[in-house]
Amino acid sequence: ESHIQYERVGADVTMKCGSMDWDAAVTWTANGTDIHESHLNGSYLILKNVDLTQSGQYSCYEGSSWHLKYQTYLRVGTPPKEPVLMCRSNNYPKGFYCSWHLPTPTYIPNSFNISVIHGTREMVCEKDVFPKNRCHIRYLQLFSTVKYKVTLTVTNALGKNSTTLTFDEFTIVKPDPPESVVAKPVPNNPRRLEVSWQNPSSWPDPESFPLKFFLRYRPLILDQWQHVELSDGTSHTITDAYAGKEYIIQVAAKDNDIGTWSDWSVAVHATPWTEEPKHLTTEAQVTETTSTSTSSFMPPPTTKICDKGAVVGSGAVAVCWTAGLVLAAYGVLFI
Amino acid sequence: MAAADSPSAALRRRDLCSRGIRLAGKMRSDVVDLLDAYVERQGLDASASVAAVEGVPAAAVERWDEQTGTQRLLENLAAYRAFRALLAQMLEEQREQLGEADTALGRALAAVLLQVSAFAYHLEELLRLESRGPPSEEGAGPPPAPHLGLFERKLRGLGVLRELAQWAVRSARDLRQLAKPTPGSGSAPSPAESP
Repeated sequence: ESHIQYERVGADVTMKCGSMDWDAAVTWTANGTDIHESHLNGSYLILKNVDLTQSGQYSCYEGSSWHLKYQTYLRVGTPPKEPVLMCRSNNYPKGFYCSWHLPTPTYIPNSFNISVIHGTREMVCEKDVFPKNRCHIRYLQLFSTVKYKVTLTVTNALGKNSTTLTFDEFTIVKPDPPESVVAKPVPNNPRRLEVSWQNPSSWPDPESFPLKFFLRYRPLILDQWQHVELSDGTSHTITDAYAGKEYIIQVAAKDNDIGTWSDWSVAVHATPWTEEPKHLTTEAQVTETTSTSTSSFMPPPTTKICDKGAVVGSGAVAVCWTAGLVLAAYGVLFI
Repeated sequence: MAAADSPSAALRRRDLCSRGIRLAGKMRSDVVDLLDAYVERQGLDASASVAAVEGVPAAAVERWDEQTGTQRLLENLAAYRAFRALLAQMLEEQREQLGEADTALGRALAAVLLQVSAFAYHLEELLRLESRGPPSEEGAGPPPAPHLGLFERKLRGLGVLRELAQWAVRSARDLRQLAKPTPGSGSAPSPAESP
């Protein structure tokens, strides 16, 4: 007969050879390899202080006939430690998700059971097919002051453990970050960047449950962020960008009234519009370049190759790093 | 009275809704501050569980998204009228308890009471636009205050303020639903349909 046997790491394991007597002559194998008789006590196999490497198939054969008398699959593992549980609503007011994991592996199969209680009512947590360690609870009531109590119990052959979270409806609301963040230079505006984004697609009803946004931006060469909070709309024009500098921009979202800020969106990079420096182009190409640069998507930064003595054109400004501040101020007059 | 769906009525409704949303937002912010002050002054534990308090309108609602505009307005109005009475009661008790009329907590309570009254008025205006008119305030006056000890009264006050904070959030959501230009906003039936 064959079965599975679970044992804790560090335990001493004694295996009997089925119904064979203690003094019967037997041979034990582990994963097909004979086990030395020093591990035997009569016909019993003794494994002391087992470790993970000793997991495997153990078989016992009658001495002379080599009949298989007993077979077991030994799985060495640990009882579960307290699981880590997190609940969050990124799809308010539809419901919320709870997800969990174990802080350390047990090396043997575990089963998870989750219970969600709201007041006196037990709610159903619909398990996700993927990922398997997540389930979704639909809100049956909104605007309730009664807290939710979520208990997760993890069980395996060697023990069980559990954890409980208690929270109210509003505190777990955290949208996903804004999507499709795009930053573009503004033609003929060396200090502007136009940023736009979309509501996260997981947020079901932005019209009734509007989001507000937090924008942060900085030139790559500086560490300090500028911040702007926006109570509506999904676009914003930065008007104080350093001319010619590449910027990194991110956006976060929050329900207008409740919950916490989302994580930051994926970062986007953009450089404000700059005029093509005239000394790099021939006379004939200047007009063409100037007219096409206004429609170009992202002109490369020109600061490194700019001369101190750059020519100031008819309203457009060529910016040099060393004289940047003065010329930027001069350029503002022409915007 | 203008028909509920005339352009001027629609504009007036949108205007009342957006002002109401702002008022609800301010009210919520003030109630949250008041809650902190109340918990501190009354020596309560902020995380204390308060069982559903009799006479305090619960903000919790099932199938919120299926409510009509009129239902929303009526439920909100009933709630804020009740809160108006409850807060007035709390203010009175507070004055009796502390013996002075003008404490910081008293002032904060009075300020919130004023906002609650203003919001109730806003809701009455919106109901008038629905060609329905607000229901009369029958049995005027608050439900008789149950005879409670000092500590029970403090806990009751905590329950009132917590529920009011939830209502302020719900009201903003309700008004946003109302302001949506969709057929489901529950406007009064057109003249051809009305009995």
